Amino acid sequence: MTNETVFIDKALIPHHLNFGNFAVAWTKGNFAVYFLNSVIYTVCVVTGIVFISSLAAFAFSRLKFPGKNIIFYMFVGAMMIPLPGSFVALFVLVTKLHLVNTRFGYILCMINVGLSMSILLLKTFFDKMPPELEDAARIDGCGKLGIWWNMAMPFARPAIAVIVIFNSLNVWNEYILAMLLLEDTKLMPLQRGLVVFQGANSTDYPVLMAGLTMAAIPIILICLAMQKYIVKGLSSGEVVG
Amino acid sequence: MRKVITLCSCFMLVLLAGCSQPPKPSNKLHLWHWMTDRNDTFLKLAQEYKQETGIKVSIQLFAPSDSYSQKVIAAAQADVLPDIYGILDKKSIVADFIKAGLVADLTDAMDADGGSWKNSLFDKGLADKSFEAGNIYGVKPGIYGVPIDVTNEQMLYNKKLLSKAGINAPPKTFDEFIKDAQALRRVGITPFVSGWGELWLLDCFASNYAFNIMGEEKIFATYRGKVKYTDPDWIKVFNIFTELRDKGVLIDGIVTKGNKYAEQDFALERAAFAFNGSWCVNVYHNMNPNLDYGVMPPPPISSAYPLKIWGSAGSSFVVNAGSPNKDKAIAFLKWLTAKKQQVVLAQETNNLPSNKEALSVISPILEEFARGMDQSTHPNIWPLNEDPSVSEAFDKGIQDIIIGEKTPLQVAQDVQEVKDRQMAKGNYSR
Repeated sequence: MTNETVFIDKALIPHHLNFGNFAVAWTKGNFAVYFLNSVIYTVCVVTGIVFISSLAAFAFSRLKFPGKNIIFYMFVGAMMIPLPGSFVALFVLVTKLHLVNTRFGYILCMINVGLSMSILLLKTFFDKMPPELEDAARIDGCGKLGIWWNMAMPFARPAIAVIVIFNSLNVWNEYILAMLLLEDTKLMPLQRGLVVFQGANSTDYPVLMAGLTMAAIPIILICLAMQKYIVKGLSSGEVVG
Repeated sequence: MRKVITLCSCFMLVLLAGCSQPPKPSNKLHLWHWMTDRNDTFLKLAQEYKQETGIKVSIQLFAPSDSYSQKVIAAAQADVLPDIYGILDKKSIVADFIKAGLVADLTDAMDADGGSWKNSLFDKGLADKSFEAGNIYGVKPGIYGVPIDVTNEQMLYNKKLLSKAGINAPPKTFDEFIKDAQALRRVGITPFVSGWGELWLLDCFASNYAFNIMGEEKIFATYRGKVKYTDPDWIKVFNIFTELRDKGVLIDGIVTKGNKYAEQDFALERAAFAFNGSWCVNVYHNMNPNLDYGVMPPPPISSAYPLKIWGSAGSSFVVNAGSPNKDKAIAFLKWLTAKKQQVVLAQETNNLPSNKEALSVISPILEEFARGMDQSTHPNIWPLNEDPSVSEAFDKGIQDIIIGEKTPLQVAQDVQEVKDRQMAKGNYSR
């Protein structure tokens, strides 16, 4: 379709198919660079979230230390702060740390965004882990980290799958924070490519739709591949909660 | 041991934060903008500028505009604004930026060489980011922004649809407009569309006629609380919408229609007249390049006072007062608003140029819009504005009239009630 026919041709299957829109979206939207960036961000952020949140959730669930509950509720409370509400503070902090316009700064902020929900979800799983398992591991010579790695992590596999999927979606579709923290277009994620087709007053709909289709494919594939874990993970969490 | 490590970490963070160096002058300028449709042209012009002067201008696009505004506010807080940027918020926020020392006063540059730069630009475009002596914001009088383009809101007419109804020329008066609308209805054509689901556009149309019926002094007297909204002249303004409704002028569902959908209706020839801004030239061209249409100011209903349309800077840039490259930034903006570059911008982006000299080479339809700049005004340049809650009651009241829920007198009383309440609270218009 073209931008003129998109408003006139209302058939389910357009009369004039124009696959060239995909090529235009790929080149004009600079998708090659943004695609790679989004893959890097998604992998790093999700890995970081799983690593940090699982350790934190394990500590909240199985260890005893002063202020445990207060710190945990602070994490849970952080979920109630919408991202735009923390923009200025976040930007000032990242600027002071000289991490503006760096991949590392963006990855750190995105890890921070996903931590609260992930910690909450994993803690409910670890709470459910039988203490006998932990005792058995300790008898076999496991330390705290050994129990976390050999017992808790395999036990929480469905929750980890959910965390991976939810956070992958979140990072893949994120743009606002990237726009705030990144200036160099070479560092921008995939969503930056789609913005090019949306003007303040006019939108190049055919190319935008082609771009959206390409942007959605990887995440749809991940969701389909891990669909069973989402249901299992969520329902297990509900029972515990 | 753990305490020592924590203390050392905190010390290192503070040390890192304090290591920043003051910015140094360079041959590279940074410009932040939000205009997706103009990005390619800006990049092209920046390339030309580098070839001419050796100064590189890094153009960085941050869209959509809401997110751009958040980025600018965050960058202002962190004191990392670029050399050139735009402030999209209302005038009071612009004033806050100026008072915080984040926007350079461009008056001297504008007045240099006998004011050649200032004189080349539309006054209304400059007025958007200018502050007069004794302004209510307490800002030092001066020019603080450079308009890249200008815009105004007028009526459009579809020549083909008008001729189908036997209309050879666009209406010159409101009565003619109503007659033309009825002729269009007789041949099954919807006369008028606009995005009046968006209150600002409805407010713009209504204020055009308020200027025509009672003149600006009486409007501002109303804002000051000296004239009531139940005054017969305000009732006349409300009555316009009763007439438009009763004579079948308006498209169905106009009060819920967003401007994007209204633009589709006009571009796809579903309505003969529209009320829209000059940016529509680009929008209509994208949707229907063969659309044959003309531009006209809303037809006046009275000869008592001139009808004023809204017109101002479309997009403006300001210069960071703290930038070490301030002079280079000003020089670039002067170059960008020179005739040659303005012609390129107007031709490639279909926006009205801010440079009057560039009008000679723009498309005929843009030229028609440009003619309206002389009779334009804008809330941003008024000495005072109505209290927002009163404006909202006013605009929503008009929507109520259009859907037949209230009479003009009821709406006038409702608006006056809100006005009285705000006055009692001490919320005078500003």
